Amino acid sequence: MDTHIRKVYIPMTETGFYILFCLRETIHGYGIIQKVEALTQGEIKLSPGTMYGSLSKMEKDGLIRFVREEDKRKFYCITELGNLVLKMEMKRIERLYRTMKEAHENEK
Amino acid sequence: MKNNKIKFRFFTIPQWRQEEQFLRREHNNGWKFTQLNALICYHFEKCEPEDVVYQLDYNPDGRTHKAEYVQIFRDCGWEYLQDYAGYSYFRKPAFKMDGNEEIFSDNSSKLDFMRRVFKGRILPLISIFLCIIIPQMLFQLHLKNIYGRIFAGIFAGLGVLYLILFLQFTIQFLKYRKTQK
Repeated sequence: MDTHIRKVYIPMTETGFYILFCLRETIHGYGIIQKVEALTQGEIKLSPGTMYGSLSKMEKDGLIRFVREEDKRKFYCITELGNLVLKMEMKRIERLYRTMKEAHENEK
Repeated sequence: MKNNKIKFRFFTIPQWRQEEQFLRREHNNGWKFTQLNALICYHFEKCEPEDVVYQLDYNPDGRTHKAEYVQIFRDCGWEYLQDYAGYSYFRKPAFKMDGNEEIFSDNSSKLDFMRRVFKGRILPLISIFLCIIIPQMLFQLHLKNIYGRIFAGIFAGLGVLYLILFLQFTIQFLKYRKTQK
C-alpha cells in the first residue's frame, strides 16, 4: 500500500468508512446514502456533493471500481485494495472500542 | 408590475457563500433565480416568497459526467440550475430538509471542494500573476517614461487585487481546516 493511500485513508473519516463499508456489495451513490441513514437510524445523512466527490476520489485511488450504469446511476463495488483498507480500519476501530471499554471498566 | 428583473453582482472566486446567501435572500423576497449569464447578470422572476437554500459545487468530474452527477443531487431533492465559470448551482426548499442541510455533509469533503477550486481556478491565476503581472510591472517601470509609470501602476493595482483574492481563499481554506481538527 503506497504512502498516498495511507495518508488519505488511514485513519478514515466517518463518511469514508460508511461509504466503503456499504460498497462490499454493488450499490450506487444514492443507495449508499439511504443505506447509511437506515444503518445509523437517521443519525448520519450524507449529502450528494460529499457522496459524488468521495466516490470519484475513491475510484481514482483504486479503492472501488465502476461496475455498471442504470438510469443514470453509477454502481460501484469495493476492490482488493479497498478491502485491505477497510479491514485495517475495522481493526483500528475495534481496538479503539476495546481500549475505551477496558479503561472505562477499570475506572469504575 | 414587472415579473422579471436583472441584478448585476460580482463575487470573487472564494465568495461562494456570499453568492449562495444573495440568491437565498432574493428567493425569500419573492424573486426566483432563473439564470446567470456571461456578464454576471443575475436574472430573476417573480414568485411566492419562500425559503430556498442555494448551494454551489465545483466538480470538473461531475461536469464531464453531467447526467449521473445531476441525478444523485436530484435523488436527494436538489434541483440543478446551471453551470457558471466551473461552478454548478443547486437549490432545495428549506421545508424539504430536516435541519440545516448542505450539499457537503462533512468538513473533509468541503476541503476537497476547496482543493478542486484551487486547482481549477486559483492555480491559473497564480500563473498569470507570476508570469504576466509581476514581469510586466517591472518591465514598464524600467521604461522610465510617463506611460511606463501609468502601466506599471495599472499592473500594480491588478497585482494587489490578485493578492487580496489569494488571501481570501487561504483564510477560507484555513477556516474549514481548523473546524475539521
